[in-house]
Amino acid sequence: MSTLSTNITAEADSPLQTVLVVEDEVLIRLVIADYLRECGYRVHEAVSAEEALVILQSPEVSVDVVFSDVEMPGSMDGFGLARWIRANKPGTQVILTSGAERSADIAATLCEAGPLLKKPYPSQDVVDRIRQLTAKARRA
Amino acid sequence: MNAGSVTALPRRTPPAILVVESDARVRCLVSDELRGSGFKVLEAGSAEEALMVLDSVRVELLFVALDLPGSDDGTETARLLGARQKAMRIIIASAEEDRPAAPGSDGPDLGDLGPLVRKPYHASQVVGLVMRSLNWPGPG
Repeated sequence: MSTLSTNITAEADSPLQTVLVVEDEVLIRLVIADYLRECGYRVHEAVSAEEALVILQSPEVSVDVVFSDVEMPGSMDGFGLARWIRANKPGTQVILTSGAERSADIAATLCEAGPLLKKPYPSQDVVDRIRQLTAKARRA
Repeated sequence: MNAGSVTALPRRTPPAILVVESDARVRCLVSDELRGSGFKVLEAGSAEEALMVLDSVRVELLFVALDLPGSDDGTETARLLGARQKAMRIIIASAEEDRPAAPGSDGPDLGDLGPLVRKPYHASQVVGLVMRSLNWPGPG
């Protein structure tokens, strides 16, 4: 393993955290999911909010953090998903991302870690946000 | 030990596998099992997503379901995806109800596409098949 990989693996929280990445653009999803795995997270992927609900309700899967795009095709967007999680999986943290400015205020009320990440985001910002959230959850 | 007698073996990079499956729960479970066995796993929820991945990333093995939405002929879709990268191995996942392409045959006419696993399958079955197809981790 390269020095870089060793360093970023050491950054991940312990024990192993599970992140669900919800993103309909496959190449964006691939890049961020891959980065998070390199950082030591266990990562599941969903193409849509509907798929995310399937995974979140699957008895075999436990998710600590959901990192979701806001704008997605289908009957539910990222806000709807965040509301569902808040109502049904209160222990699961949510981070939203969007390319649209208008989403910021709504996201602030749905995400524990404040306003959403604006696209395009550096991958390391996602890791920093996850670490903030999980540290906060441990203190609570 | 004499330094000259030590042979540095080249490190093998884990093969990349693209899992194409529209059922999020099934895709999540089989991808997770493959990652647990050391493979690098990419996920696609549709043929369109799979095409984008195959045009961007080198993949050693394609594990594709025949019952993808929006595709009348899963076998044809699998062939189309398989033709995207010449050296790529293919494993097909097929449900019992998938229509056989050849009249009177017991299953889809897969020709020389690759081995087939019947749905519902155990993720460990797929891992075994993938290991054999890629001869991974190989002798050692």
